[in-house]
Amino acid sequence: MRTRGAIIFANIIAGVVLGYTVANIGFGDYGELNRMFTFQDLRMLFAFAGAVGIIVVVFALLRVRRTPGRIHAGVIPGAVLFGTGWAISGGCPAIPIVQVATGYVPALVTLVGVVVGMRLCRWANARWFHLDRGSCGL
Amino acid sequence: MSNYWPWWLGAIGLAAVTINYTITTDRSFGVSSAWDRVVHWRRERRFERMEEQVVDNHALAAALAAATVEQFGPQPVGARPHASAPSFASCGDEPPYPVDPEPTAGGSSATVSTLRQAPLISQAALLLSIFVGGWVAAVTSGRFKIRLDMGEAFSSIVTGNRLHMVGVLFLGGILVGFGTRLAGGCSSGHGLSGCGRLRPVSLVATAVFFGTAVVVSFLLWKVI
Repeated sequence: MRTRGAIIFANIIAGVVLGYTVANIGFGDYGELNRMFTFQDLRMLFAFAGAVGIIVVVFALLRVRRTPGRIHAGVIPGAVLFGTGWAISGGCPAIPIVQVATGYVPALVTLVGVVVGMRLCRWANARWFHLDRGSCGL
Repeated sequence: MSNYWPWWLGAIGLAAVTINYTITTDRSFGVSSAWDRVVHWRRERRFERMEEQVVDNHALAAALAAATVEQFGPQPVGARPHASAPSFASCGDEPPYPVDPEPTAGGSSATVSTLRQAPLISQAALLLSIFVGGWVAAVTSGRFKIRLDMGEAFSSIVTGNRLHMVGVLFLGGILVGFGTRLAGGCSSGHGLSGCGRLRPVSLVATAVFFGTAVVVSFLLWKVI
């Protein structure tokens, strides 16, 4: 299943199921998210960790090869910025889409911010960071 | 809201998306990279055309080589062709992205070193489909409601002022967009796909962004 049409179809299926799942877990609900990050409610944390556990087992059974990956200079600062943004806006890149789909109109502002942030990252990397490709998609 | 899924059902759903995507497309699942490609769609389209051109040239070179062998026999050892298919490097431009060194499903000897990127249109379809899936979930569960705030929790924990809310969401979005691309992934790319493969970079990134979110959330909840 590697043809162009098949890949597009697979992305549509993945998007619908991801949006449906994320919305039903409660990731689009800022209150639920804050309760997860402050350990008041571990349900969503278990959902995420459980998913990782299942994936680890299935990938091991399928013998999906593990590659080391490179921890470049942008990984930790980028993760700090992302974690901060996620905590204050309640959105990782998929969640604001789900929030808008749920009726939270202000989440459109988050989406605009994501677009601006991604363009800023590429610009800043070319101008200042000069990180190896793989960061900022360069 | 108490009508959310139990944790185990959510875990199965998230895992199913990631595993199915990896198996069916032979590519890693990541929403932030899809976002990035859609945001920079002009550049992406240019690179897709270049990639098609290179593939065409490779096919032409292979056909000419086969015809030459058929006509004149195999080349002597050490002989080199006069011309080779152009590469991105010879075009004076960077390739669109490094080809993702992610492993393929099934492992074995297959690698993705020659795998082309998912078509740009598929990445746009992914983002739109997330919206559709979220909307279906909201409508079928009775949670869909048009509102001009981000909910009571956001108002009490972050800000109840509409103007401040817009500023916070915009700033948060910028941090998310900038941070995910700087770190090379988000909660799906690093968190699900990468951690699922036990990639050190993804384990580090996930620990850092989750740890940061915990600290900031506690600050918002208890201090600010």
